[in-house]
Order: sequence, then C-alpha cells, then structure tokens
Amino acid sequence: MWSAGRGGAAGPALLGLLLAFLVPGGGAAKTGTGLVTCGSVLKLLNTHHRVRLHSHDIKYGSGSGQQSVTGVEASDDANSYWRIRGGSEGGCPRGFPVRCGQAVRLTHVLTGKNLHTHHFPSPLSNNQEVSAFGEDGEGDDLDLWTVRCSGKHWEREAAVRFQHVGTSVFLSVTGEQYGNPIRGQHEVHGMPSANTHNTWKAMEGIFIKPSVEPSAGHDEL
Amino acid sequence: RDFYKILGVPRSASIKDIKKAYRKLALQLHPDRNPDDPQAQEKFQDLGAAYEVLSDNEKRKQYDTYGEEGLKDGHQSSHGDIFSHFFGDFGFMFGGTPRQQDRNIPRGSDIIVDLEVTLEEVYAGNFVEVVRNKPVARQAPGKRKCNCRQEMRTTQLGPGRFQMTQEVVCDECPNVKLVNEERTLEVEIEPGVRDGMEYPFIGEGEPHVDGEPGDLRFRIKVVKHPIFERRGDDLYTNVTISLVESLVGFEMDITHLDGHKVHISRDKITRPGAKLWKKGEGLPSFDNNNIKGSLIITFDVDFPKEQLTEEAREGIKQLLKQGSVQKVYNGLQGY
Repeated sequence: MWSAGRGGAAGPALLGLLLAFLVPGGGAAKTGTGLVTCGSVLKLLNTHHRVRLHSHDIKYGSGSGQQSVTGVEASDDANSYWRIRGGSEGGCPRGFPVRCGQAVRLTHVLTGKNLHTHHFPSPLSNNQEVSAFGEDGEGDDLDLWTVRCSGKHWEREAAVRFQHVGTSVFLSVTGEQYGNPIRGQHEVHGMPSANTHNTWKAMEGIFIKPSVEPSAGHDEL
Repeated sequence: RDFYKILGVPRSASIKDIKKAYRKLALQLHPDRNPDDPQAQEKFQDLGAAYEVLSDNEKRKQYDTYGEEGLKDGHQSSHGDIFSHFFGDFGFMFGGTPRQQDRNIPRGSDIIVDLEVTLEEVYAGNFVEVVRNKPVARQAPGKRKCNCRQEMRTTQLGPGRFQMTQEVVCDECPNVKLVNEERTLEVEIEPGVRDGMEYPFIGEGEPHVDGEPGDLRFRIKVVKHPIFERRGDDLYTNVTISLVESLVGFEMDITHLDGHKVHISRDKITRPGAKLWKKGEGLPSFDNNNIKGSLIITFDVDFPKEQLTEEAREGIKQLLKQGSVQKVYNGLQGY
C-alpha cells in the first residue's frame, strides 16, 4: 500500500508516512473487523437483483436432478445461510480472513450440501446449472469457487464475485423466476462473463472475528 | 469498589480469565435467579461495572493507577448489553428456568453453527468473538395483515338455501419491518469440552414477524491434531527413537498443548510398542477441570537403513551375546 519513495515529493511524503506510523491504535481498519473469515456463516445478496442465495430440500426437475439453488427475496429465511470453508480439510482454519483469489467452498447450513456447478443447462435460461451437492459438507472438486474481489481480503461491505474453479463461470442471477412449488424464487446459474449480474454482498450472518492480523501493505517498517 | 475482588481474579489476570470469571458469576448472580436476595440487583450491577472496566485495556490501566474515582467517563453500556454479549438477547432464561415452549407462539428458525476448536483450546479454554448480524422485527407505522387463515363462511341465498364458501380471513396487527442489527457475541470454549457439545444463545436465531426469534447454537467440532490424539480425557502420542536409544536409554521433552514440557527419562531398554503412562498430563475433565486424564506415549524404533558391514555384524554378535532365536508361531490368532 505504501509505494516506494518517489523522487521529487520524497520529503513531505516521508513525513506523512512517519506521522501515520506514530499515530497510535490504527483502529478497525487495520485489525480488519470487517473481513469475512473461514468458519463464518452468512447470507449472500445479489446486489443487482436483490435476492439472497438460497437452497432447500427440493431437487431440479431437469438437468442433473440434484438439489436446487435459487435466489429469494426474504431476509429472514434460515435456508439462505451458507458456511465459508477452505478448499480442503484444514485448508482454512477458523478465523482466517479469506483472501481475494482464494478458493473456498460454500456449504449450505441446513442441508450440508456444497454450492456446485457442472455442465448441465439451467432450467429457465439455459445457462449453466448451479446445484447443491454432497453429503455433510463433503462433495467433490466441482465445489470450489474462487472469491474475486479487489484488494487483499474479502471485506463484508464489498461486492464480490464467485468464479467456479472447474468451469470458470461466475455465480449469477438474471431475473428469471420459477413457478410452483417455488413460486417467485429466482434462477441462480453460472455465466461465462463478469458483469453486474454476478456481484454478491455478505449480509446477515454469524461472522467470526479475524484471529490473525491480515498482513496489510506496510509489513516492512 | 474492588473490581478484581468482585470478579474473583488476581490483578495479573488475563482478558480470557476475566471473561471466564464474568460468565460464570453472571449466571449465578443474575437477579432473576436470586429473587429472594434484596441485594441481587446491586451485586449484579457491580459485576457488570467490574467487567466493563477490566475487559478494556485503557480503562483497566486507569483503574489500576487511580482507582474507581480516576475513571474518566461514566459507564457507557448498560449491564444488560454486556450480559447479552455472552448469552444473547434472552440469555437470562439460559441456565435458569427452561424456555416455556408455548405452542401458540410461533418461533423463528434455530441456527446451528459448527465451531471448529483446536486441542490447544480444549486444554486451556478460550473465547471466540463473533459478530451476529441479524434481521430484527421493529415497529413500523400503519397496520398489516397477520394470522391469515382459511375459514368457511355460510351465506344465505334465500329461504332454506345456504351456500358455504371458503374465505381468507386475516387479523390486523401493528406493522413490523425487518431491520438488520449487529452485536458482538462471546462464545466460551470451556476446558475439556467434548465434540458435539452446544452453546446456545437464546433469541439470536432467525426472527419471526408474528412471534419470537429462534436460537443460535454453536456446536463444538474438535479438529485433528498433528501430535496428540484424544480419547475421552486421555491424550495419545507416538515417539520414534533410534535403535541405540532403545537399547541404551535416552532423555527427552515433549511439548504439551500449552507449551509446558513433559520430561521423559529412560535408562532401561525400550521395546518397540512400549507404552509410557504419564498421569495428569491428559486433558482436563469437563466436569472438574482440576482432574486431568493421562498422556500415553507409544514408542517405536527406527532401525538403521544402510546395510551393516561384515565387521559391524561380527561386533554386534559379540556385544549382544545372543544366540539364534527362531520361534515360529501364529501371530494373528483370528484377527
């Protein structure tokens, strides 16, 4: 974050740097209380369509026939909670802030299945089907999603994207809605390009405070 | 007021000790649990004040130097606030009277969160700070429809002729809207805690617009450790020693979960598979932290990898003075 000293404005710039280090207790920004950490449970809101990522014990009637993943408008449904976990056992211990570019798994809390996608068409829009797969949090390699965000770590206030490791698609919503028995719920699918339909923000949840100081830019003093 | 005495901790107590002391005493001293004690409210307030000062580094320093009079600001947070950090909004029900399961009051969903815990934390205990952001039902202007249900209505069409229709009938309730609120919760990992044990925070689950919120429960999941294996309150570990050490003896230290060293000294021959029991070096028992299990150390021997020279072979035969022992027997016996 602190760029190497530039030629001309070295004097005042250095003084500014020095003063910044002398000010005690950098406060919330440095200790990162606003970061998403592994082990946290949260709801994800699609910022464009204002629906939350959701799953339930209802299977797709087409495609893979696996458990369906949708977007819902309600903010108080326990079926919208997902748990953030590392890519492998022990890969991301409790309280470790998630880095931008890190691969994570999102496990649906109430059914124990992982957010998953594969080469099946989605039922309404013919994009790529996104399902919930696995047992007790254990699925397969197609459960991995890369968190795409700017900066070093996933911040709770930030709008981030989820790019699938295996097929490179982005977790998206484009507005198509289902009829019965899940009337009003939106289709969630994978799309090949990054755009306004695939940004998500952490909303309600149980956020474990970071147990490790995330290394900010100024680690050499 | 002597805040250290109120919490029952030494002046050198760590923040973890202070949190632990508060949590234990808050449950005991809560006025709802002591309805017959006229001083219960005051004792409870003192406890809250003590925690508020000693848990904050700045305030604690001021208190240590200047005493209670030297504290700069008045007490900011109400004690109810501090209590809810440890037990949730309706936490006073926890540990006291069990929550009345009134079937008529609808309840929001419970949330169970798996909390990964290391063996180090099981040994020494710990507090995990968590931010709970949840939707809360707040009053809003106007009215809304609630308790909607289907009812049969009978209408008279003419003399002796009736018609029954189904109608949706709703009551009128004050309007509510869901607002996101945030608070910090402190989850205690008690020493000796077992896999699957749950720590509930009453009322911190999902809201219900027509009723009460559900609960938030943290379920302990102890993760595997690279050095120690847990069995109940006992710990198991393995040590590989060299062939020389197994024959002539050795001394070593094993670093325990909290950093203290367990000393091992052998001057006899140690056979592969030999077990050493160290009483009191296991995990604390959940029900009584003063009782600890044992540490069981199993030794295996690392045999030399290179082939021995003819000279070495002769030397060894001479040293050990052991004849040939070639006993053939069934080692499996059905396993």
